[in-house]
Amino acid sequence: MDGRNRLVTLVVVATGISSVVTQLLLIREFLAAFQGNEFVIALILFTWLLLGGTGAWLARIAADRRPAGTGMLAGLSLLLAGLTPVLFFAVRLLRDVFFIHGTSVGFYPTLAYTACTLAPYCLLVGFLLPYSLFTLRAGQPGYPGAFVYMMDSLGDVAGGALLSFALIYLVTPLQAVFIANVPLLAAGWLLTGPDRRFRPAALLALFAALGLLAAGVRGERRTLATSEAELVHYQESRHGRITVFKSREQYTLFSNGSPALSTQSLAEEAAHFPLAQLDTAESILLISAVGGMLAEVEKYRPARVDYVELDPAMSAAQFKYGLLQKIPGLEIINEDGRRWLSLTGRRYDAIIVSLQEPETFQTNRFFTDRFFALAKSRLAPGGILSFSAGGFESYLAEPQRLKLSILAATAARHFGNILLLPGRSTIFLCRDQPLDPDIPARLRERGIATDYISGYYEGDVTPERIGQLRDLLIAGAPTNRDESPRLMRVMFSQWFAKFATSPWAFAAVLCALTVLYLCRLRRQEFVLFTTGATAMGAEILVIFAFQIYFGYIYVGIGLIVTVFLAGLLPGAWLGNRLSGRGRWALPVTDLLLILLLAAFMLALHFGGDRLPVAFYLGFGFAVSLACGSQFPAALQLGGGGNPAAARAFSADLVGAACGTLVTSVVLIPRIGLFQATLCLIGLKAASLAVAASAREAR
Amino acid sequence: MKRVDRRTLLKYGAASLAAASCPFPAHAFWPGAGQKAETSGADDIRGTIFRNDAPESLWKWSKEGFSFDRLADKRVACKVCPNRCVLAPGDRSVCRSKVNMGGTLYTLAYGNPSAVHVDPIEKKPLFHYKPRTKAFSIATTGCSFRCLNCQNWEISQAKPHEVRHSELFPPAVVSEAIKSGSASVAYTYSEATTYFEYMIDTARLARQAGLNNLWISNGFINRAPLLELCKVLGAANVNLKSFSDDIYRKLNGGRLQPVLDTFTTLNERGIHFEMTNLVVPGYVDDPEMVKRMCGWILATLGPDHPLHFLRFFPLYKLDRLAPTPLSTLEQFRKLAMAEGIRYVYIGNIPNHEGANTWCHGCKKLLIERRGYAMPTFDITDGACRFCGTKIPGVWS
Repeated sequence: MDGRNRLVTLVVVATGISSVVTQLLLIREFLAAFQGNEFVIALILFTWLLLGGTGAWLARIAADRRPAGTGMLAGLSLLLAGLTPVLFFAVRLLRDVFFIHGTSVGFYPTLAYTACTLAPYCLLVGFLLPYSLFTLRAGQPGYPGAFVYMMDSLGDVAGGALLSFALIYLVTPLQAVFIANVPLLAAGWLLTGPDRRFRPAALLALFAALGLLAAGVRGERRTLATSEAELVHYQESRHGRITVFKSREQYTLFSNGSPALSTQSLAEEAAHFPLAQLDTAESILLISAVGGMLAEVEKYRPARVDYVELDPAMSAAQFKYGLLQKIPGLEIINEDGRRWLSLTGRRYDAIIVSLQEPETFQTNRFFTDRFFALAKSRLAPGGILSFSAGGFESYLAEPQRLKLSILAATAARHFGNILLLPGRSTIFLCRDQPLDPDIPARLRERGIATDYISGYYEGDVTPERIGQLRDLLIAGAPTNRDESPRLMRVMFSQWFAKFATSPWAFAAVLCALTVLYLCRLRRQEFVLFTTGATAMGAEILVIFAFQIYFGYIYVGIGLIVTVFLAGLLPGAWLGNRLSGRGRWALPVTDLLLILLLAAFMLALHFGGDRLPVAFYLGFGFAVSLACGSQFPAALQLGGGGNPAAARAFSADLVGAACGTLVTSVVLIPRIGLFQATLCLIGLKAASLAVAASAREAR
Repeated sequence: MKRVDRRTLLKYGAASLAAASCPFPAHAFWPGAGQKAETSGADDIRGTIFRNDAPESLWKWSKEGFSFDRLADKRVACKVCPNRCVLAPGDRSVCRSKVNMGGTLYTLAYGNPSAVHVDPIEKKPLFHYKPRTKAFSIATTGCSFRCLNCQNWEISQAKPHEVRHSELFPPAVVSEAIKSGSASVAYTYSEATTYFEYMIDTARLARQAGLNNLWISNGFINRAPLLELCKVLGAANVNLKSFSDDIYRKLNGGRLQPVLDTFTTLNERGIHFEMTNLVVPGYVDDPEMVKRMCGWILATLGPDHPLHFLRFFPLYKLDRLAPTPLSTLEQFRKLAMAEGIRYVYIGNIPNHEGANTWCHGCKKLLIERRGYAMPTFDITDGACRFCGTKIPGVWS
């Protein structure tokens, strides 16, 4: 490989590092800017991958018009690096230009905003990969496309690992962006070459990009400022963004852009509704908390209060700003709540879950059949489990009604008595012993003073309203299970109802475009399309299953994402070797993918909770290895020319986009984990049939 | 003109980019950061007519509109609220409750309440009207506004066919209200003006049966229907959402002036009414605006109508703001009282002394409120038990 080619290769690796870091950080940005539900997460990934695929397709058109050159590649690399901080600023700052400050945003505006802000960057990233290959081939015709794919994978792995295991702990997002783009800047600059005519322009471009990256670092905190409150705390933990705003004497903690706890909030309902039911509340477990909750819990003089909060940065901020008060007997446990329950030998008189509603796979785990069984097994005799869902004040809309019914039906499988107390939130009390709705009377008996309950309960939580709510529950509502998160479907429906919109128009357009796209694909490109979809679908399934069985372990999930990238590299190498074997390379690897998915499904079915972490990592690596090996083989079958390479890159990315969206928001919530895996097997079976009937390129 | 070659273009382009990206002046070019909330996003979220959205036929819970004009081409103009929807046949009004069927305006919200509850009257909030009584509260779907923080959006932003409802025609409302031991019928939760026909018929019957009628409203109503309503109205709580037309259009999808006109009319007709102002951080928390608002109230309505400042909580679409700090509400209460309004309350904060009633004559505590309970009540025959000053309101 000559020096010029080496530099182009370096650009490919550096682009991989920069783009993966940017992608992972941008998902966090969008989650903080918009709703943090699984739909939005999938939408961001979908848009990213789809635009990347479009960029790759555009590269082919560009290459048809003008031969690729190193000067242009260098310029585009520097542009990409400079564009990254602009993208972050755009996501943060343009939100309040287009949407009313303080409001949440519905599906279609989120889609439009995501697509518009991501478009310049993603199109360019997608463009650069095939364009790099064309540049290499301009100097060395016949340069193997698989090598560029391998180098891109290498960059992806390096970027993913760098962010997940180092940068996320050490620096802020725009500092991370700065660091991740240094290799790209260096590679781009070196690629400009010794031609003195272009030096001044290249130097200026380099400084412009550096200046933008530096402006990003310097202006980062400022981009989060609001006019109505002062930003006093900003931290990007590995779990998300934590900001604390001070408005006069009140501190409010925002988690990923949404207000979570406030110093002047009322925690009486969350604390007293369950605890008032008990004769003694010696040992209490709080899974997350609402502002001021510990002060209310203290009124029962418990011997032990375990407060489980996944994010250490979150609990630190809560106590620092007085959102929660330290009380005697308190132990703060920074652990996934469900994992804690499965590990601890302690027994509790009360377990109070104060998590947000199940909008993601992660939170859904606290509202399932298996979680309720686990919680019950950790309750002392006569103990109580409490959690909350959306409120019922004047009218219960259908999605809300179904949600409460599913929750009640699921909890009723494990507890003899379930009482739903309506209000701004509906509080669920679950216990085998009798439950008494007259909370004020029980508090009076115990001499516990309250503000809200003593004054308002009897007017707000009337027997008539409790009865109405009970009567509205749907008999025979389905159970919410880990593997089949029915509740998430309802949450999606509720989200769409809130914005009086429906995803069907989007789905129809997407289906039509996908069909059109598929009709234009060659056989080997169809295989790559399904491979992209399977790889992303399998990754989502593995993360979902891992969370169910092991809890939310940041490092574990980071490792899964990394192995899914890491397998591509040896896979591409293997595929390069296999591609000589002609048309059988694709069917064989397709068959391997089918077998892997089938093995995954059977393993989960017969012992998901007993499988070691290594199984998930091994599976992820094997899937990505098989997927990675298909690219060179498909490229070879397609003739290996520039147009074929661009189309192959494009098919892989567009497939990944569709796989992400369909698996996250359709398959898992609608038909569950096992059937979703079956669908991926079906997709790959179709691909196998197509691949087996393909003819070798001449 | 001199031709610019590619190299020059590249140079100047890169130089401009470098200058624009300099870390220090860069901030000046970026929009958004810390900008005033009022300037963000859309300026006007007012609703629009739903073209060709009327059902195929009327249903059991339909009735001809109370007040409308017949126009050319079988179009009709609804005259109940200032939206003045002009509907072609098959169109549905902004409030979603009214349709033009063959050149006649019909309401689809008559006798089909989607929410029926019995509430303490203080919950409305009405602090100076028949305290410690219950209000039989009903609502159908519909609203003339599009408030981003609506507490009852599931019915206010829905069409009558889209929700579950019970059947409760006006005579049944009255009999159920009496059966529940309520002293009043409250038209509340969603926007009562949108089911005006149902409300006025029920209110007339309720008045005949000795019940009071409570109108809990955004105040967006035309004068003629309001005058008709006043004939049977006991009391009202009307939202004064802000004292800025811009904010009305931006956060509520409404207009300010018609609401002010409503207050004037209620005052003229001698109806007891109370005003509520939800203090939304970043929008409705400007002390200067509150001063202007209080000035208008004093000049136009006088000092005796109770004013409630309510704490905002993130709700519905406006769910990414912090709640209102307590001290803001306290400041506004002091400010309004200093301006001369005699009865100013703080709401949505349990057991705050700002929810108590103090005599404007002798400044003594008359009503101590602990939630809906009143451990202290020192008003006798509508006057302060200590100094005899008449306390505005209806107390028995």
